[in-house]
Amino acid sequence: MVVGEVAVETDVIIIGGGPGGYAAAIRLGQLGKSVVLVEKDKLGGVCLNRGCIPSKALIHTADQFHRLNDLGKMGIRLSQERTTMDFKIWQDWKEGIISQLNQGIAHLCKENGVTVVKGQATFLSDDRIGVETDGDFETYKFEQAIIATGSRPFVPSFIKVDGEYILDSTTSLQLQEVPSSLSIIGGGYIGIELGMAFAKLGAKVTIIEMADRILPQVAENLVKEVSRNAKKLGMIIKTSAKVEKASVVDGQVHLHVSSEKHGAEVVVSEKAMVTIGRIPNTEEIGLSRAGVTVDEKGHIVVDMECRTNVPHIFAIGDITPGPALAHRASKQGIVAAEVIGGLPSAMDSAFVPYVIFSEPQIAGVGLSREEAEQQGYGVKSGKFPFSANGRALATNETEGFAEVIVDAKSHILLGMHMVGADASNLIGEGILALELSARVEDIALSMHPHPTLTEGWMEAAEAVLGHAIHIVNK
Amino acid sequence: MIEFKLPDVGEGMHEGEIIQWLIKEGDAVAQDQPIVEVQTDKVNAELTAPTTGVVKKILFSEGDIVEVGTTIFTIQEENEMYVPENDSMEEDIPDGQSGNVKGMAEHITSKPVFEAGRVLATPFVRQMAREMKVDIQQVKGSGPAGRIIESDLQKFKENNSITRENAHHKDDRILQEKDPMKNADQAKGTENEWEERILLKGIRKKIAEHMVKSVSTIPHVTHVDELEMDRLKELKDQLKAYSDDKDIKLTFLPFFVKAIVIALKEFKTLNASIDEKTNEIILKNYYHIGIATNTNEGLIVPVIKHADQKTIFQLADEIRQLATQAREGKLSINQITGSTFTISNVGPIGGMHATPIINYPEAAILALHKMEPRMVVRDLEGVIRLMMNMSLSFDHRLIDGVTAVHFTNRIKELLENPIRLVVEMR
Repeated sequence: MVVGEVAVETDVIIIGGGPGGYAAAIRLGQLGKSVVLVEKDKLGGVCLNRGCIPSKALIHTADQFHRLNDLGKMGIRLSQERTTMDFKIWQDWKEGIISQLNQGIAHLCKENGVTVVKGQATFLSDDRIGVETDGDFETYKFEQAIIATGSRPFVPSFIKVDGEYILDSTTSLQLQEVPSSLSIIGGGYIGIELGMAFAKLGAKVTIIEMADRILPQVAENLVKEVSRNAKKLGMIIKTSAKVEKASVVDGQVHLHVSSEKHGAEVVVSEKAMVTIGRIPNTEEIGLSRAGVTVDEKGHIVVDMECRTNVPHIFAIGDITPGPALAHRASKQGIVAAEVIGGLPSAMDSAFVPYVIFSEPQIAGVGLSREEAEQQGYGVKSGKFPFSANGRALATNETEGFAEVIVDAKSHILLGMHMVGADASNLIGEGILALELSARVEDIALSMHPHPTLTEGWMEAAEAVLGHAIHIVNK
Repeated sequence: MIEFKLPDVGEGMHEGEIIQWLIKEGDAVAQDQPIVEVQTDKVNAELTAPTTGVVKKILFSEGDIVEVGTTIFTIQEENEMYVPENDSMEEDIPDGQSGNVKGMAEHITSKPVFEAGRVLATPFVRQMAREMKVDIQQVKGSGPAGRIIESDLQKFKENNSITRENAHHKDDRILQEKDPMKNADQAKGTENEWEERILLKGIRKKIAEHMVKSVSTIPHVTHVDELEMDRLKELKDQLKAYSDDKDIKLTFLPFFVKAIVIALKEFKTLNASIDEKTNEIILKNYYHIGIATNTNEGLIVPVIKHADQKTIFQLADEIRQLATQAREGKLSINQITGSTFTISNVGPIGGMHATPIINYPEAAILALHKMEPRMVVRDLEGVIRLMMNMSLSFDHRLIDGVTAVHFTNRIKELLENPIRLVVEMR
């Protein structure tokens, strides 16, 4: 740094334009602060460009494709003999969605007075950040900073992601055709979502998971429905299994897998994908020069106001300890922005909803039955299967159930979970109910529209109270 | 480890001066034990330890000026397992300190939300608690199943503020202002003899102390004279087009400052102080002119540093800036200290004479009064001239009456014939 160089002064600088960073930027703009938002790639971050959005486009497409199989029983006959999927056209469609959302964010930033700077940002001190853009270097002096650099896929050192044979979630969404066979290392939600989508599109999918079941973070009773569907889709699931070596031989990926059940074996497939987990991007932004510390996993520990150990520097999203979810990042971004704006905001809720776009979908908020028991609650729970819901039958989506977990003493809701069609949208009711400290009666007594899947919540709540209408109460 | 940040002990203060550390690094301290004495432009406060523990690091020295919100020392809690009598650590944070920008003692290690426990309250009520600076974990809910509702927060705050007021009485310097409405209600009981009791604090308290100090130390004498302003007005009007061009609002004040500075250079005892401790007269060879300015909070005196080295336009611009900052409460300590002579420009409000009180420890203060056309005698004929009075209070220990009159005569000469002002200006 040249002494005496001119720094651009700003109230707040944000590193990273993902769902956390851009939400913070827009909120700060609303609060009248001058904001510089630095993004090295594209606005929207992993979520929009390489994660949530493109993967949902793939999952939706795969779902539509797969459902064609069911049309016959509803009386629809397709004239073509064999339905095919042109993945190149799909890529164009997906890119169109991304670019529309990109432009939307850029527009919102502009309208809220946010200055978006493209480049790689590094802290120079606790009040200066340097941004490098194509060889040019600009210095910014800030009053407050928000770090929102997100995370990237974690790949163990013995595997090399080449983007052609061995993929990560990012490169899997850039494929030009559906692979004939695909091995997925890691049966967490990313592996299961993408694995099921590729299976629906015709790939022979093998999942290799280290834990004793897929989706180990989710309650077992919910996962059962997904496991059953995975088998129906012809997926092979290897649990308690470990990949020890990965190599490419004659254009095929050879994964050396060892498990207690089957001993050592070699899984051969056209492509392999690594979806083990994500690691925070906290190494290359000069945190030590700003005095910001990270924990042993590289996460930046923050308080309820999203402040780091340096009080005028905030951190949000995947770089903070906790689930790497876009909606958590956005909420933290808004909280950090409001705290900077002098408002009394805080991350004051334990309720971070989760959604998994598996077949069928899983979504939930609050405690599982086991967690509630561990925390010392007397627990009551009620379940309602979609096979008893009229709408589910009419849309040929009868798998899954709604589950409501309740404190036996007060009847306050502790958790609401669902596996089934559209669970990702239906969980909204659960989030609101838990945030408002509702009792199970509040849901049971509210009129729910017929015929919809939302009746599942009402019936599950009634089941807790012993008087569900459409199932036999035991 | 707790980082202790300089809190806002006055109203809207931005910085404070570390006057004295009452402990040193490594000292074991008890909760509420005084740690450091801090002075701001408005108050002087002793800050106490947020918790029992050991002072790890003192980050500023005595005499340093520190911005609000900056960590000034760190304290290691006595014992991680230490459990205070009331079952939350949060309550130990003094009232009136939110955790946000003005943050005081903040627990740097974050407490995951799960461990903090679920509070049965809607997001709105939780936000409201933060706004009211109520630790919601302490509030007992009266809603269904113990849900905390809005009225619970209100009740908690009321009950708590009563006990807090009692607890804080020993430290009256930072005592919170009581709700004036409440006092009015109480006063209704005593029929028609209404009284309101408002704590003397902030700028008002500072002014009170300052005035007593000045009047009880300095024997004041006030000398009044009048000025004929026609020619100065003419000059000012001529310059108007030029100043408008430069976007400067030109008033009489910069001319007064200039004339006063020229006179001060010749009458050194008027730009001086008496050091009572060492029994010395301090003659100051720099000219920092204080301009008494009215604000909503009371009078404050922003200072034009080195007024002798600035042009009329520079002075005009600086006066305007300082006045704006003063009204917005945005002046730094540096901008309101160090004056060597003070002007009180009460003319725009009205009045003939005054006996201004010297801005201690200075030696004199000049009040400028209302400018108006008056009948005066020139060459034994009654004529109408634009006249203005000025009242000079001076320290009679240091300045004889004759000197004071010579001083005002010199100012009069320069302002009544502004051409001389121009000639003698540096």
